[in-house]
Amino acid sequence: MSREIVIDPVTRIEGHSKITIQLDDRGEVVDAHFHVTQFRGFERITQGRPVHEMPAIMARICGICPVSHLVASAKAVDDILAVEPPPTGADLRRIINLGQIVQSNALSFFHLSAPDLLFGFDADPAKRNIIGLARENPQLARDGIALRKWGQEIIEWLGGKRIHPTWIIPGGMAKPLTAEVRDRILAGVPEAIAAVERAIAWYKTDMVRWEEEASTFGNFRSAFMALVDREGNVDHYDGWLRVIDADGKLLADRVDPHDFNDYIGEAVEPWSYLKSTYWKSMGYPDGIYRVGPLARVNVADRMGTPRADEELEKFRWRVGRVAGSSFHYHYARLIDTLHCIEKIEALLRGPDILSTHILSRAGVNRNEGIGVSEAPRGTLMHHYKVDDDGIVLWANLVIATGHNNMAMNRAVLQVARHHIKGDKITEPMLNRVEAVIRCYDPCLSCSTHALGKMALRIQLVGPDGTVLDDLAR
Amino acid sequence: MAAGDGGGGERGTSRNTGESGESPRPASGGALIVGYGNALRSDDGLGWHAAARLAEDPRLAGAHVVWQHQLTPELAVDVSNASLVVLIDASDGEEAGAISVRRLDPTLAAGSAWSHHLEPAELVALARELWGASPPVFVVSVGVASLDVGDSLSPAVERALPAVVEAVVAIVAEHGH
Repeated sequence: MSREIVIDPVTRIEGHSKITIQLDDRGEVVDAHFHVTQFRGFERITQGRPVHEMPAIMARICGICPVSHLVASAKAVDDILAVEPPPTGADLRRIINLGQIVQSNALSFFHLSAPDLLFGFDADPAKRNIIGLARENPQLARDGIALRKWGQEIIEWLGGKRIHPTWIIPGGMAKPLTAEVRDRILAGVPEAIAAVERAIAWYKTDMVRWEEEASTFGNFRSAFMALVDREGNVDHYDGWLRVIDADGKLLADRVDPHDFNDYIGEAVEPWSYLKSTYWKSMGYPDGIYRVGPLARVNVADRMGTPRADEELEKFRWRVGRVAGSSFHYHYARLIDTLHCIEKIEALLRGPDILSTHILSRAGVNRNEGIGVSEAPRGTLMHHYKVDDDGIVLWANLVIATGHNNMAMNRAVLQVARHHIKGDKITEPMLNRVEAVIRCYDPCLSCSTHALGKMALRIQLVGPDGTVLDDLAR
Repeated sequence: MAAGDGGGGERGTSRNTGESGESPRPASGGALIVGYGNALRSDDGLGWHAAARLAEDPRLAGAHVVWQHQLTPELAVDVSNASLVVLIDASDGEEAGAISVRRLDPTLAAGSAWSHHLEPAELVALARELWGASPPVFVVSVGVASLDVGDSLSPAVERALPAVVEAVVAIVAEHGH
């Protein structure tokens, strides 16, 4: 008699989901599914809207990373207009995208995951939270708040407001940067770098005790995908898609993002609203790959900024050239954040950053457009088709959490196999299943177009469908 | 009743278009007034409507007035710099339009498993733990009649708005110095 465990809801992620774990007759885990249980349907509701409205509408997908959708959407509309933003317009978009990644990465690491790392996965949840973090390690908590605040201020100052900013528009940006705002952001750079470097130093010391845990924490062979620039550095805004396998061998390089459909397929499973993307040449479900901070540090030759490159070298010395454990998303997220801060500073010091030539104007010149960028959680793709009047006929969004869907399922399966003994849901297993999903920082609002916080429910179900155990929180 | 995400902007942003905002930031040490809730859920936007009026009230010229979707950890920085904090929220546990004022116990224990947003006690605890700040904190809540999709208040809550403003002004007059 096979049986099944269900975790419903999963906490401290963005969106709603549950997990089921299938047991066989002997009580061994045979499969696990991460179900995303909410649906929003932005791809459908945008049909019939003028394409110029798309960035503003798509930003509403998420309140955590609206800038990512704004950037990818604006790039897709640029493509339909057949224009390139002026260089300064593109650089301002880069800065605001990097500010978005800083604030989102800070939320993920400092507010959501640091309590687990500081107190341990089995600590009392009453302590294992941001208030507990503030009591135990106030500097770490202050640094997290400061980094998130700095990133949000960049968004507000460059985009008009913190949530759903409006100044990223098709063709470029709506408002130029002033010297006063540039200097205000630059003034915060030293403290932002100091904050993330303190966190990296703490993490490197702390991670020693998690080395054994990391070996069973979503540690598996998979491909990785990210955008890189002409020199092979991480590029969060533009560039080419690069995909490597678990050994670091190139599966594809210098792929024009416009051609992503030639390489990436999307599968739909009846048990989740979240689509599963896969690398076409490897087929489904073998074509598993990961995106996000871990993929960026694995795929790129270098980060492309001095401090982050120094940390990347240490990262690779400690965990290998291609890190396979999902646990290392945390470490990679900090290096990614450090790079973003350095890159923001470099862009702000550019000689033309105050130029007022920031917008290219055009009408509808193509009936199809694709925009691709790196969001905090990984590669984000917006693909639109319009009629000759620019009315949206069709839209498809390939979201970072969708790229990671199969990997999250694999990670849950590995953790469940390691921790489930018998037909009962144990607290250590529950904590680790949540934590391994949190490594990916999934945003289910984006990926299924759902709203809300992730609540966790696990059910243990036998081969005949009998629910053997059911735990919700 | 917080929903969505925190945010920020400038005085004069529309309170009815889903844009959060704040009045110009005064020197630290003044009163901090935060109206929060979902401005697109009818009476849940009470905090926004009240804060927008308070930001224009000359009796509160030295106060920092903020309206946003929910209480976020970053707000703890502002709390730590304030001499007084007033939080304005909608409540579905009271009669529509009924106003209640309570002072938060500064020693209240707080814990949170969810860190995208905070409850009032958690916000205060964060400011206390990180910066040793414990300003007096008052919560002004108003009973709701409707939480349906919409950017306007129900008649009962709309009628209560002037009294909400007066309640906040009175708190600041009594405790703000």
